[in-house]
Amino acid sequence: MKKTQQMLIAILLSALSVLASAETAVIVAAGNGNGSMDSATISKIFLGKSKSFPDGSQAIAVDQADGNPAREAFNDKVLGKSGSQLKSYWSRLIFTGKGTPPKQYANDAAVKAAVAADPNTIGYIDAAAVDGSVKVVGKF
Amino acid sequence: MKKISALSLLTVAISAAAPAAQAGDLNINGFLSVGASMLDKNDAEIAGADNQGGFKQDTILGLQVSKQVNDSTSLTGQLVSRGSDNYSTEAAWAFVTYSANDELDLRMGRLRIPAFYYSDFLEVGYTYNSIRPAEEVYRIPFSSIDGVDLAQRFSSGDIDGTVQVYYGRYQGDFESNGTVYEADFRNVTGISVSANMGNFGSRLSYNQGELNLGSPAPTGTGLAVAQGSANGLAFLYGDSSAAEDFNISGQTSSFIEAALTYDDGTYSVLAEWTAFDHETSVLLDDQAWMVSAAMRMGEFTPHVRYSTQKDEFDSGVEGDIQKQFGLEADESSITLGLRYDYDSSTALKFEVQNHDEKTIGGADGDSVTLYSAAVDLVF
Repeated sequence: MKKTQQMLIAILLSALSVLASAETAVIVAAGNGNGSMDSATISKIFLGKSKSFPDGSQAIAVDQADGNPAREAFNDKVLGKSGSQLKSYWSRLIFTGKGTPPKQYANDAAVKAAVAADPNTIGYIDAAAVDGSVKVVGKF
Repeated sequence: MKKISALSLLTVAISAAAPAAQAGDLNINGFLSVGASMLDKNDAEIAGADNQGGFKQDTILGLQVSKQVNDSTSLTGQLVSRGSDNYSTEAAWAFVTYSANDELDLRMGRLRIPAFYYSDFLEVGYTYNSIRPAEEVYRIPFSSIDGVDLAQRFSSGDIDGTVQVYYGRYQGDFESNGTVYEADFRNVTGISVSANMGNFGSRLSYNQGELNLGSPAPTGTGLAVAQGSANGLAFLYGDSSAAEDFNISGQTSSFIEAALTYDDGTYSVLAEWTAFDHETSVLLDDQAWMVSAAMRMGEFTPHVRYSTQKDEFDSGVEGDIQKQFGLEADESSITLGLRYDYDSSTALKFEVQNHDEKTIGGADGDSVTLYSAAVDLVF
């Protein structure tokens, strides 16, 4: 009985730690003047509905590759769409010449490097991967 | 010959594009739908299917190449090959876009008429749940024009949307009651307005065009016979001036559409209503509408749709003459379907559709059941 309890607690703790480490940080370059943003503002930029930051400067979304855990978490928590729904959304725009989805980068490190190098970009990475080269504008 | 040259052009375009694609500024996208369908009996017509089954009618391949030429200008070309059209390849879109600013686009070239909710992505089956749009409602026999359009996006608070106006001309085939005419529709113009707020969306469009069929219409065909008999009938009804209302050339036809959508991620609903108003009495005015609902459960999306179309007679002598033609239809369908998202770019679809032709060609029709399956991909 006690053993079962201990095991359950261990499972719970490990599940919690996975959840905690899976927190997604939305990032901009360290020199970007914008403060924190809500998910609606971030969604508009990532869905191509808005092409500028709240301060009016140009905003270019930077995405992660299909299947990355950070991408799945971001799609789910910030955009509120499944992979298929997003693909449908972009297909409707691509095949009418009305939009192009954000450029995809291979992983957290590649997104961080791209965002740090260009003050007009916005991306997202696992919160644990954040360092001084970028600024967090939202955590989800 | 035309078909071959279009295909070889595409091949050249793609092979030429390949090295540039690596440079990162040339985009190549495509879509493919492969379908199979079978009717239980041949007593009514739907989706070009028959009771022997077939793989051709719902099969569509599309390839798109686009290039950002500079900050404000881009080029887009989309070639579509349809099984229902014996795989002849057509440029569904070929246009240059000039973006005046982030909200205003001017496009010129071969464009899709934004008459319907699904118009823009009509052939990209992946983007919707059903295997094909409702045939009763999606009944404009041509979908692209050569012309210009202007799209203004707007966003205010929670609402965002687009206003689009267009103008152009359609020169190509026009099918009416089984006969293909050479058409030259001039001054094809219209406006569409769409707006989204949260889970809700709405859309309105008004479209009109001036009809010019290869005139005189070939003798012995439906429209020529109708025109000819209208002359005689008008005389019999003692109203010879009514015959003039059966002329086609230079007459304007208009089409209006209204749609409402709801999508909360799990449940989605689309309702769309449309109406045709023809100045010429040779073509019957009509109304058609559909309602569809779907429920997303992980990879599975079951859906249901009701769609209907009904012709209407003009009033007075013109209507009495129209009734003699035996052209009118009154039909509806109930469709049950299941979409399965195999992965993030492939969907498998299964559908059963009961199509009921209450009236067809002015006489009592029959009811048939259509079974279909399809695979839709985007790449």
